[in-house]
Amino acid sequence: MSDPTIQIRSLSELHLDDIVRIVEKTRHSYQPDLWEDRVTYYLRRDPESSVVAEVDGRVVGFMLGDVRAGEFGIEEPSGWIEVIGVDPGFAGRGVGRALADAMLARYRERGVRQVRTMVDAGMPEVERFFKQVGFEPDSLRPFVRRLD
Amino acid sequence: MARVTTSELPKRFHDAVLKWRETFLPDYDFLLENWERYFPRDPKFRLCAYREGGMPCTIECGDELGRDKYQRACEMRPEAAQHLAGAIRAQASTEFGSIQQHQLTLARAQDEEEQAMVLRMMAEELRHGYQMLSLLEADDWKPITGQSSEQMVEEILSMKTGSHVLGAFNVDFESFVDNIVFCALIDRVGKYQLAMQKVSAYAPMAESMPQMLREEAFHLATGVVPLRRWVVKAAAGSPMITMEVIQKHLNKWVPRALEMFGDERGGGTNVKFGLKPMKNSEAQDQYWREIGKVVRDLNLRYLRARLPQLDAGQAELTLDRLESERGVVEGVDARDLLRLPHRDYFRRRGVPAFRMVGEDGGAWTDVEGYLGHLVKTLPDGYRATRDFQDYVTNLRAVARGEKTPEEAQKFMPQLRRVGGVCPCSRAVRWVADEHVELPDGGAVHGG
Ligand SMILES: CC(C)(COP(=O)(O)OP(=O)(O)OC[C@H]1O[C@@H](n2cnc3c(N)ncnc32)[C@H](O)[C@@H]1OP(=O)(O)O)[C@@H](O)C(=O)NCCC(=O)NCCS
Ligand SMILES: [Fe+2]
Ligand SMILES: [Fe+2]
Repeated sequence: MSDPTIQIRSLSELHLDDIVRIVEKTRHSYQPDLWEDRVTYYLRRDPESSVVAEVDGRVVGFMLGDVRAGEFGIEEPSGWIEVIGVDPGFAGRGVGRALADAMLARYRERGVRQVRTMVDAGMPEVERFFKQVGFEPDSLRPFVRRLD
Repeated sequence: MARVTTSELPKRFHDAVLKWRETFLPDYDFLLENWERYFPRDPKFRLCAYREGGMPCTIECGDELGRDKYQRACEMRPEAAQHLAGAIRAQASTEFGSIQQHQLTLARAQDEEEQAMVLRMMAEELRHGYQMLSLLEADDWKPITGQSSEQMVEEILSMKTGSHVLGAFNVDFESFVDNIVFCALIDRVGKYQLAMQKVSAYAPMAESMPQMLREEAFHLATGVVPLRRWVVKAAAGSPMITMEVIQKHLNKWVPRALEMFGDERGGGTNVKFGLKPMKNSEAQDQYWREIGKVVRDLNLRYLRARLPQLDAGQAELTLDRLESERGVVEGVDARDLLRLPHRDYFRRRGVPAFRMVGEDGGAWTDVEGYLGHLVKTLPDGYRATRDFQDYVTNLRAVARGEKTPEEAQKFMPQLRRVGGVCPCSRAVRWVADEHVELPDGGAVHGG
């Protein structure tokens, strides 16, 4: 069960500074321009899917994504979870789970039947997190070819 | 997928909107031709009305709480239906009005991407206006307003800057700074009004709101993101934009935004009729706190650009100190930061109307001194506008005791229908001699 003190809200432009601050803590880089572009992208495409989590009125986590169809040969509309971040000071308290629950519920309500994400194998904690909230490996496999 | 249906207006109304668009939104074709370039992967804009399915079917507030929502205006209490008609008309007026304002200075944008965002936002405002016209078209308003749908639509499409229902939409833009600050402040009022109308006892109104709110989320980003980048430019000493210029534009728009919530004493009737869940002052209070956060975030972005050696936590502490001590900290002067003007500053409607309160909250007693203060704290071009002239005339009349503040409020330009058959006729004039009563003293809507 998610913690009753965690409040979920729809993403808005008011959360820009909060997101920049959380990413600065998790990735140790201050990149406001990048996050302004990203947040604007989600806001103009699908402002209701992405969510932030608040504890005592302060934003401590966010999850961004949207619904898309026709990519990678997947014709059925899929909800995507593309970016996630939780303030390290609030890790392990169910914030990530509350974000995922809310986003999945929003997708479900819109009739979406599958939600996808991709996790870097170099981030086992993120992989573990997604498994714990019900994701399982899929047949879709990432390939890359470097151009040098 | 989401239970949303779309529809178009009957051809004669649809064509009237297209004609309006040719006149007042001439860059529309450019937007659509370049859509993929600016907004890759986004569904292309379409001029149509949206209706959300699956919304609550019973009234959500007021003295009819729990009974079925109304599908037709004529089934409502006459007084409630009149409030509703006023709200739809005013909402439509603001949507079309904001396009006329944005168009004035759209070409002056310095950044192509910012310009494209504003242009898309304008197209969406056109859709919002269209949405409101669809409500007028789909019901019979004659028993309520004495006007047919056709007449109401025609009236709305013939309004021009200076004749719109609401003050903020009568204020001309002078530079692209206005476009951006308007999105950040005035569209935010729109967000509040839309969110409140989402509970409307009139189901077609409630069902119109979700898609408009989705679009509004983007409009707010269209304002806030450029502002965030401009404060960084200002921190670097750019000659193009300074904190002082941004501050003066906040001073120009914050008072108008606050007045859009309607008289601080009103709004109770809307709640009683189940049309909105909050009184004017409650919504205005929330808004005030929200724009306080916008200003603080902008200051933080500015501070980090000025003092890149600070991390997030240190920057917040420095900002706290600057806000409380108002001096110079780490070489940054508190006066370089943005602030909200005092809530009673430069007001012409509501409780503080025509009180002479300074940007910093100081009280003025002589009119000419106060006008000098306004000229110093407002954007340079604004002092030459008709809007400011009207304010000056009325303030002087109040000071001489020729008018009460209540009377003076009514003399600020108001809507008046002056005929004109063609939707694009310029038959609407500045009208300051006749007052049209608005629901709750004009508690209406934003972009
Ligand atoms: C991974 C992350 C989302 C977890 O958030 P959180 O709020 O701490 O997670 P929760 O407390 O809600 O935990 C949910 C589940 O995930 C598991 N989990 C969370 N963090 C974990 C970790 N570091 N290692 C192993 N399991 C973990 C928990 O055990 C929990 O399972 P349970 O409820 O069955 O016990 C968060 O730490 C994060 O955002 N990390 C950085 C992510 C990142 O770098 N993203 C960039 C790529 S998008
Ligand atoms: Fe709008
Ligand atoms: Fe808007």
